[in-house]
Amino acid sequence: MIRSLSAIIAMLAAAFAAPAMANDNISLESEIFVERVSNTSGRSAVILERPTSLIPGDRLVFVVKYKNTGAAPATDVVITNPIPNAIQFQETLDGTEQVSVDGGKNWARLENLRIALKNGDSRPASPRDVTHIRWVILEDITNGYEGKLTFRGVVK
Amino acid sequence: MTNRKQLLVAASAFALSIGVANPAFAQATSVPNTTLAGTDIDNTVTVNYQVGGVDQVEETASDTFQVDRVINLTVAASDNATTSVTPGQDINDAPPPFVTFIVTNTSNEVLDFDLTEANQGGGAAPNGGTDNFDVTGLQFFVDNGDGVFNPADDTATFIDELGVDENITVFVTGDIPNTQVNGDISAVSLTATAREGGTVGTIGAAITEDTGADTDGVETVFADGAGDVDGARDGAFSASDDFTVQAADITVRKISTVISDPVNGTTNPKAIPGAVVEYCIAIANAPGVADATSITISDPLLANITYDSTFGNLINGTVEGDVATDFICNADGAAGGSFASNTVSGTIPTVAAGDARTLVFRVTVD
Repeated sequence: MIRSLSAIIAMLAAAFAAPAMANDNISLESEIFVERVSNTSGRSAVILERPTSLIPGDRLVFVVKYKNTGAAPATDVVITNPIPNAIQFQETLDGTEQVSVDGGKNWARLENLRIALKNGDSRPASPRDVTHIRWVILEDITNGYEGKLTFRGVVK
Repeated sequence: MTNRKQLLVAASAFALSIGVANPAFAQATSVPNTTLAGTDIDNTVTVNYQVGGVDQVEETASDTFQVDRVINLTVAASDNATTSVTPGQDINDAPPPFVTFIVTNTSNEVLDFDLTEANQGGGAAPNGGTDNFDVTGLQFFVDNGDGVFNPADDTATFIDELGVDENITVFVTGDIPNTQVNGDISAVSLTATAREGGTVGTIGAAITEDTGADTDGVETVFADGAGDVDGARDGAFSASDDFTVQAADITVRKISTVISDPVNGTTNPKAIPGAVVEYCIAIANAPGVADATSITISDPLLANITYDSTFGNLINGTVEGDVATDFICNADGAAGGSFASNTVSGTIPTVAAGDARTLVFRVTVD
């Protein structure tokens, strides 16, 4: 337990350390959690924890935290998150994202994207086709403001 | 910590995308179904933004985890039907008695598998009925890839380097004791246990699950279910199949009919000296059993009768009626059989289940 706690602290420190060194206005942090169903005395509850062991089929929650650490508001903020190869995208929690199914070349809402088939037809894109997701935040991010974006995926 | 801001994301940006005349098309890319053990999941996120209308250097952040090793496998009988065998059928027969299992590696790593076969000790058989005998000399053969059981080329003694989501066929065979009778059932099981892969031609070391605290390395998790004869999460899986004995059930009856005598001719003939008597030996096989084949009949003649060599023998003829109760022999057999050393002999090729066949010959009373 002590060991895993210290490992988490080390990871958190590393995550914060990089943006701090860059001395820029927006800091970013990416964290991965695994969703587990704990079943104690007949009650099941979904809990989020740092992965201790991760195997195919595990459901992951990716949390992207951003914070304006500068002195001025940031505008035209676009946060882009490629989906790791080993992950199948499922959904975002807020549903405001745009996605790409072609490696980040074209962006749209998932329901407006189609996948070309070899016979010349096309089919609607599904979450498993998603290669990238991004959030285009139209509001200014005032200094000191911090927010959180979350999406789900499954280990393939 | 709040997420109020992101909810303010205006729909207009998306409306722009929707407005594009030709929706973006992408070619589907093929990806592996299962992430291999040791793969890094590296999530990197980037933010681009402006301050005071000036583009700023983009920021990135990432979080990385390594995919651990999940040990999982299935073993399944290739069908849900019993395999019919005959008493005394053994591994050297063609075909030998065998059942077929499919072993599938559903782990996320290439693995070896150790195999164990076993007789079930009584109880319900997987395809119905009750296990009541053991196959002797039970052994397994790992298919060489052609899907056909051939003891000469299926010589592997373990499953070597089975790929992720790949499967292989394993045959379990043995000898059926010749004392077994129709309807006897023997259930057998095959258990596959995951072993370390990596060295072609050599079975790898046993695998243990990592149950302690998390480490930076790749850890091993057993995820297999409970098989027929093994428990859940033990790195092994098992399945059962069964053999059912299909023996022939033969009834033999011999009847005689006086054909003629020297006094009455063929009208109500009597078995007096000089009379011609026809013998019919009927071989019946019970319904629902195995075909009886190569049935050899030999009938030493009694004293005081003489074989009618002019009539000879009629073999493989049919009967009317039930051999067990009352029947007559049809004169539809083919010439065949032999007579030597005062014994009539003949071989009937096949008596199918529910059928009956005959050997017919004549004698004269001395």
